[in-house]
Amino acid sequence: MYKVRIAFQKDEPACYISHLDLMKALQRSLRRAGLPARYSEGFNPHIVLSILVPLSTGYRSRYELCDFDLTCDGLPPDLVPRLNGALPSGLTVIRAGQAVRPAAQAALSDFEIIWHGVRCADAMESALKNQLTVEKRSKRGSRQVDIRDYVRLYTLCEQGGDTVCRCVLKGGEDPLNPAYVTQAMIQEGILPEGTPVTYTRCAILDENGKEFF
Amino acid sequence: MNHQLAACLEHVKKPSRYAGGEYGAVVKDRQSVDVRFALCFPELYEIGMSHLGSKILYGLLNAMDGVWCERAYAPYTDMEREMRARGLPAYALESGDPLSDFDILGFTLQYELNYTAVLNMLDMAGIPFYASQRTSLTPLVVAGGPCVYNCEPVADFFDIVLIGEGEESLPELIQLYREARASGASKQEFLQRAAQIQGFYVPSMYDVSYNADGTVAAVTPKNGAPEMVRKRVVKDFDKAYFPDRFIVPSTDIVFDRAMVELFRGCRRGCRFCQAGYTYRPIRAKSPETLKKQARRLVETTGYDEVSLTSLSSSDYPHLEALCESLTADFEPRHINLALPSLRADNFNLDLMENVQKVRKSGLTFAPEAGTQRLRDVINKNLREEDLQNACRVAFGAGYNSVKLYFMMGLPTETDEDLLGIASIARNVLGNFRENASNRTRGVRVSVGVATFVPKAQTPFQWFGQIDRQEIVRRQQLLMDSLKIKNVTYSLHGWQASFLEAVLARGGRRLAPVIEGAWRRGSRLDGWDECFDLNRWLEAFEECGVDPAFYANRALGEHEITPWDHIFSGVTKQYLRGEYERSLRGEPTPDCKAGCRNCGALSLTGVKCDV
Ligand code: SF4
Repeated sequence: MYKVRIAFQKDEPACYISHLDLMKALQRSLRRAGLPARYSEGFNPHIVLSILVPLSTGYRSRYELCDFDLTCDGLPPDLVPRLNGALPSGLTVIRAGQAVRPAAQAALSDFEIIWHGVRCADAMESALKNQLTVEKRSKRGSRQVDIRDYVRLYTLCEQGGDTVCRCVLKGGEDPLNPAYVTQAMIQEGILPEGTPVTYTRCAILDENGKEFF
Repeated sequence: MNHQLAACLEHVKKPSRYAGGEYGAVVKDRQSVDVRFALCFPELYEIGMSHLGSKILYGLLNAMDGVWCERAYAPYTDMEREMRARGLPAYALESGDPLSDFDILGFTLQYELNYTAVLNMLDMAGIPFYASQRTSLTPLVVAGGPCVYNCEPVADFFDIVLIGEGEESLPELIQLYREARASGASKQEFLQRAAQIQGFYVPSMYDVSYNADGTVAAVTPKNGAPEMVRKRVVKDFDKAYFPDRFIVPSTDIVFDRAMVELFRGCRRGCRFCQAGYTYRPIRAKSPETLKKQARRLVETTGYDEVSLTSLSSSDYPHLEALCESLTADFEPRHINLALPSLRADNFNLDLMENVQKVRKSGLTFAPEAGTQRLRDVINKNLREEDLQNACRVAFGAGYNSVKLYFMMGLPTETDEDLLGIASIARNVLGNFRENASNRTRGVRVSVGVATFVPKAQTPFQWFGQIDRQEIVRRQQLLMDSLKIKNVTYSLHGWQASFLEAVLARGGRRLAPVIEGAWRRGSRLDGWDECFDLNRWLEAFEECGVDPAFYANRALGEHEITPWDHIFSGVTKQYLRGEYERSLRGEPTPDCKAGCRNCGALSLTGVKCDV
C-alpha cells in the first residue's frame, strides 16, 4: 500500500464545486483514471480520500491538497497525467508524492483577495493599524475576534481599478476565512456593501511559512 | 468564464449547476462547426441531467461532424433574479454563449408542468414565444419528448415537434436545416419540406376549427402536410446509437449513475399509463449489447452504480442471466447494480439479493389501486397475493422497509377501493410480524398516493379527472384510514394534479393561458415552493378559458380530440376497446400471451420482443 498526496489547482469553473461534491468528483476521477485506489471495508465500500484543508465554494486555489491510498507499492510514474486526463475542467494536479507529513502541520494559508472596482489600499492599511473586530462563527458558536490575531503577513496594493491584498492567514484548528477581512473592511466603511470579491488560495504553508506538502 | 456570470454565481445556491465544465462535457471549436444545437431542458439541472434520453441525443448530435450540441437548463429563482438584474441572457453550459446565437433550440417536454419554464427560457434568451413571430430560418425552436403525444397547448410555440424517438429524426432535421440554409430557402419552404418527413409535426400547417361547445370540429392540414403525423421509432433497437460516455456532474443530481436501457415499450398495458402505450412497440436489447454498454460506461464515467432501466425491469426476458454476469464483473470493483421498476408478480429474491449484494435498499411496489376490482379496471394485473408473497420472501431475507405506490381518483373508484389501500398496508405489517427474520429492527411501510390524471393516447383519455372537492374528500378519507402505526403516507395537493389534467388533454386555446401564467410569475410549476395555482386561474379567466372543460369533462365517443392527428402507433380503435373493457372490469392479458393488435406493429413491421 502506498499513501499518496496530490497538490492540485481549483480554478474556474471547478471553483464552484463544494467541498463534499469535490470528494465525490475526485473519487470518480480516480476510478476513471484506473488507479488502484484503496476502498474502505464494511457495508458500503468507498474510496478513502481526504482533502486536507477545506476551501469555501467559489474560491479559486492554486494549491489544494488531497490524500488517498493506492493498493500498489510506490507511486505510478504516470499518475499525474492519468489523473489530469480524468478530472472535471478547472481541476489540475500539479504534484504527487508520498503523504508523509501529518495534515495538522498545515498551519497557514496564503490568500490573494481582489476587491473589484475599488481603490482603497491606503485606507485598509491604516485600518489594519488598529484593532479590527469581527464576529467569527464556527461550529462551537460565535465570538468577537481581532482580525489582526489571524493575519501573519500581508501586502496591499492597487492594480488597475482593483485593490489586491495578499495575506498569510492562520489555518489549522481555528482558521480565518478571508471573507472576514472583507467583512471587517465593510464594517469600517472602507468597502461598499456588495463589492465583487475574488478569493484565491495561493499556497498552504507550515508553521514556518514554508510550502506544506 | 464571463464576468457577469461569475458575479451571479457569487450569490446563488448550488452554483456548480450553472458553471459547466463537468467531466465529459463536449467542447468544440466554434470555427469548426456549422450547426449549433442547444438541448434545452425546461427543468432544474439536477432533473435534466438525470434524464437518459437527453444523454443519448447529446452524444448522438456531438458525434456528427460539424454539429456542436450544448445543454441549457432552467435556472432556479435566485439565479434567474441575478441573471435578469445583470442583463445576462440565457446561455448554454459548454460555451457560455447566449441561446439566441444557436441555430436550433431543441426543448424536451417531459412533464406538462414544465411549460412555463419553456417560455421563461425563451424570454431570457430574447427569443419570441410564438413560431409565427419568428420569421427567419434561424433560430429554429423545436420540441420532443413524451408530452408530444398531445402538445397542442404548446404547439403554437414550436416550429417543429418531433413525434417519437429522436435517434434518427434529429440527424435528419439537421441535414434538412443545412440544405435549407445552403439553398437560401425561406423558413416556410423549410417547414413544408419538414412536414413531409415521418414524425415531423409542423403545428403551423394544421388549422384547428371549433364547434360552438368548444370541442374540436376539425384539424385541417395545409400545404401538403399529412392528415396524421406518424411516430418515429428505432427499428433495430439493439443496434441503435448509445453513447460511450455520459457527462458526469460535479454536484448531486437525482439519478447520479450510469444507465443502460433494457427495452422500450411495455407489454402490460396499464390503462392509465401513457408511456405504456406511446413507447410501443416493444423492443429489447440483447444481453451482450447491454453488458458491453454497461461496462464501457462504468469505465468512462467512474460511476459506482449502474441502473438497468425500462418501464418494467422484471419483464426483461434475460434479466437473471444479465444481472448474474454483470454482478460477477462489477462486485469486485465495488460497483452496484440498481434495478428500478420491479413488479411484485414476477419478483425474484435471488435476483434482488444478487443485485443488491453491494448495497441493500428497500422494496418498492406499485399496486396502484386498493382492490382487485379496481386493479382489473385499470388493467394492473397484480394480485394482492403476489404482493404479499414478494414481501414475505423479502422480510424473511431481512428486508424491513416497503414503499407502496397508489393512485386515487381512478375511473369507477369507490370509497371501498380507497379503504383497500389501508388494508393492503395493514396486511403488509401483519406479514412482517409473521415472517420477518429480524423482527426487532421494526418495519416501515410508506404509502404514496398520487391523483389520477387522464392522459392523451391512453384508454383513459376519455375520462375526466374528479373535481377538486371530490379529490379533497377522498384524500381526507385516505388520511383517516392510513393513521396506522409504522405506516407513513404522502398525498399531494389537488392543485398541481388539476393543472396537469388541464394541460394533458388541452388544446391550442391554452397557449395564451400558459403565456398569461408565465407573465404572472409562473416558472417552475413542478416545484411546490414555486407553484401557485392562482396565477393560472387568473390567466384562465383573462383568456376566457374554463379549465374544467379540459380537466374534468368526459370526452364523447366520437369527439375529435385535440391530438387525433398525432399517431403514436396504437390505434384509437384499440384504445376505445380497452376503455370499454375497463368499464366492464375486464382485464386484458399482457402481450406475452399473444399480440393484441394494438397497432404499434405497423411502425416497425417486426414482432414485439416479449
Ligand atoms: S399488442 Fe402486439 S403490437 Fe401492441 S405492444 Fe403488444 S405485442 Fe406489440
